[in-house]
Amino acid sequence: MISVVVVDDHPVVHAGVRAWCALADPPIEVVAWGTDVSVAWLPPGAGADVVVLDLQLDVTGPAYGNLKRLVDAGRQVIVYSMRADRETVLTCLDIGAFTYLTKVEGEEHLVGAITAAVAAAPYTPPALSGAFGTDDRPHRPRLSPRETEVLLEWFHCESKEMVARRLHLTVHRVNSCLERVRVKYANVGREAPTKAALVARALQDGLITTDEL
Amino acid sequence: MGAVEESLLRQGLRYALGLRLIVVALSSTASLLLTEAPRQGVTVAVVAGLNGWNLWYARELLRGTRTAGWIVADIAVMCAVCLTQLWTVRSDPRGGGTWVLIAMVITVVTYAWQMPWPALAAGTSAIIAAHYAGAMIADPGGWLVSEAVVAWTAAEVALSWALYRFVRRSARTADRTIERGQEMRRTAAVATARRADEREYLAALHDTASVTLLMIGNGVLTEREAWLAEQARRDLREIGRSDAGHHGELDLIGLLREVAAQTPLRVSWRTPESLALPAVDAVSLSRGVREALTNVVRHAGVDHAEISVRRDAAGVTVDIADEGAGFDPGLVAPDRHGVTRSLRERMARRGGEARIVSSPGGGTTVTLRCPLSEPEVPGDEGLIAAGFQRGLRWAVVLVSLAILVLLDLPHLLTGREAYTQLGAQFAAWAGLLGTTLVAAVATWRDRPVKRWPLLAVVLVCSVVATATVRPEYRLGPAHWSEGDAGWQVVLILLDSRVAVLAAVLGAQYLLTFAQAAADGQAALSVAGVVNATWLVLAFQLAVGMIAAVLRGLAVSSAQVVRAAEQLRTSEEVARQLHRDRERRYADLATTAVPLLEGLADGKLDPAEQAVREECAAEAARMRRLLTEYSTVPDPLVSELRACIERAERRGTPVSFAEYGTRPELPPRALRRLTEPAVEALATARGKVRLTIAGTGDAVTVSVIARCAPPPEVPDGDGVRRSTVLDGDRWWIQSVWREAP
Repeated sequence: MISVVVVDDHPVVHAGVRAWCALADPPIEVVAWGTDVSVAWLPPGAGADVVVLDLQLDVTGPAYGNLKRLVDAGRQVIVYSMRADRETVLTCLDIGAFTYLTKVEGEEHLVGAITAAVAAAPYTPPALSGAFGTDDRPHRPRLSPRETEVLLEWFHCESKEMVARRLHLTVHRVNSCLERVRVKYANVGREAPTKAALVARALQDGLITTDEL
Repeated sequence: MGAVEESLLRQGLRYALGLRLIVVALSSTASLLLTEAPRQGVTVAVVAGLNGWNLWYARELLRGTRTAGWIVADIAVMCAVCLTQLWTVRSDPRGGGTWVLIAMVITVVTYAWQMPWPALAAGTSAIIAAHYAGAMIADPGGWLVSEAVVAWTAAEVALSWALYRFVRRSARTADRTIERGQEMRRTAAVATARRADEREYLAALHDTASVTLLMIGNGVLTEREAWLAEQARRDLREIGRSDAGHHGELDLIGLLREVAAQTPLRVSWRTPESLALPAVDAVSLSRGVREALTNVVRHAGVDHAEISVRRDAAGVTVDIADEGAGFDPGLVAPDRHGVTRSLRERMARRGGEARIVSSPGGGTTVTLRCPLSEPEVPGDEGLIAAGFQRGLRWAVVLVSLAILVLLDLPHLLTGREAYTQLGAQFAAWAGLLGTTLVAAVATWRDRPVKRWPLLAVVLVCSVVATATVRPEYRLGPAHWSEGDAGWQVVLILLDSRVAVLAAVLGAQYLLTFAQAAADGQAALSVAGVVNATWLVLAFQLAVGMIAAVLRGLAVSSAQVVRAAEQLRTSEEVARQLHRDRERRYADLATTAVPLLEGLADGKLDPAEQAVREECAAEAARMRRLLTEYSTVPDPLVSELRACIERAERRGTPVSFAEYGTRPELPPRALRRLTEPAVEALATARGKVRLTIAGTGDAVTVSVIARCAPPPEVPDGDGVRRSTVLDGDRWWIQSVWREAP
């Protein structure tokens, strides 16, 4: 069974995550929950397949250090935060988070993201897609116009079927486009074991070629 | 009047009065000792009276009481001293200047610092006239009566006044520059404080009320829960705290008690009653304490902890001590997780520190220390000092040029018989003029002068000029370089310490005297030399001292300005923060607060459909409010906001998101871009998704809703619209592209 540890200081979030996970197919077990990150380092949280991490925003800003240390230890981390601003989203991805999920998207995407994280298959929810599609930082990866288009449409409508209809593509093409973008992002910026694994697997599966990177 | 100018005037007055006191005292007593007056008794009385008066006058003027009256009295006293010359000075062509002349000159020269220019002109005229009249009475048609003295004294007053104006003007410039700098700093400080406060508030709401409402809206709860009521009460406290803080400050002790109340620990307190701190620091410390207490609960194995809070000049220290299990800090690997590291990072971000002292079985003490943020703003001292230095340097350049051209050149041109080599005299004169001009250019270009080479030039000129004056004319009026070369020394050494200036200046005079003494036969007696030298040297030293004073003044002025500035800034910050908070609270008071109150007292059931919908709508609203506060006002968003709110009031939840940077849109394009979304929102039923994406040269507004079919509209103003029907939902996109 897939196991998850939740780092979030809000009891309602815990209740929500547990409820969604219990209804998932196959079911997911929330093995530990706590208000600070130590819960992910101590048993039973230490052995969880996936860490769902609230950024624990406080007056001094998001706690990127916690994320960094988890990623460096090879953990699959889903950042699950109230924040949706582009800078925070992209910074987390750059550090090596598996994916970034806003709390609003939790109901729709958390279970999917957890399952994908265990399979190490890219997962790009709409908010993250919006952040990728409007990224104008100098060191951003090079995306094709089609890729940017897919990113933005997915952000706008939250339905891959609608994106496919609108752009006259198949849902499969939409998915592979999003996956390729995710891999390109894993290939830039700070090095992290989880990012390297994502890139290696994409090359192996023929999702992307070294030339495209 | 700015702080710099104000302190300049105060210091300047003090120096002017002090200088006058010393010069008059020295020259009058020296004269009493070295020469014999026609009426020695009267002279002793006049000298004693004048010096006594000077002391009294200085005291009264510095106190600042009935200044005008004392000034009139002073002019009268000086006139009286001048008119009684027949008893107090003797006519002696080799006497240089008389002590009365010196007292008169130094008095009028320092008047610029004491009175406005009309009074200065009137007072100076009266005193100079009295001196001339007194000389006529004492020595009719004799050596004492000199129109040159009248003209030169008037010129000196004018120069001194010019010096005063120059320095004062540079003080004003310094004031203005500082004021501008401060305005910018104040704005920055206010903005920083507002951002920090905003962030704190955002963080609080994000972590509390907003999440509670969102999750209930998602339907994760199937019944009323005790912990939910507790959470709702905590959320209310977070929202309510927004208007409890005043002047950007929060009570640390209150916050800590709240934090401690959320743990099962018994806490004993060793703290002051209350301790107001900048909100950011207080929150930072309280969160650190929360972490430390959580750790006690988890690992210490005791149910008691002690919290003590101390405040000193440098900062605030909070100790959290328990007598529990403890641990060996050496065994915690530095790259591992844990409270130690997280606490240190948290405190380091606020410029503070966290220390943990623990041993197995010996309990644990966590010490959090937060410096009180008092931003030190360096830099003004240098700025003010440079401004003063420049003003003073220009003034000395002016004085030097005036003396060289108006005084020395006429001597050279009319008194050819006094010199052995006229060419050498002109060369020396040109050398001094050149030196002055070099210094002037350096001042103009704001560069430091090359002092030692220039000084060498001045000394060579002085030696040459003295060597080519016939011995019998030496130290007399024809020997122009004696004394006057000192001005260049002053000009070059204006930045140096007073001791250096005085030493070089003294050396230059002694060199000239030595040259004259070596050949004997000087034009003046010893007393004459002393008097004449005093008159010029005092003035030159005074300028050097003013320079030193101004340097010190710059530092103290900057401190005064800074203190006043800090006060203004904190007032401004407090006002702004209070306004921000009131506004935010007003936004939440009628919507989120009643909802949370219902959840807190159990009146609302989180499982009920209506409650869930209300929570979902409120969570969306709150999220949008928070996004708006944290970004700059944007016409596109504010245009859409009104219709989002209308839709929400009709019970249509709108999921809104925006990404990317957007260029400023022309008004017509803006209307065309938002119109489809506005129309869709007006007739929408059920869930609506509204998004904005900016990609630098393009802006997309997208809406997906069950709504009336969008009417046909032609494209234009760079905006293209496209629609897709998906079941009963319309997806309408309008895209603005920058014209190529």
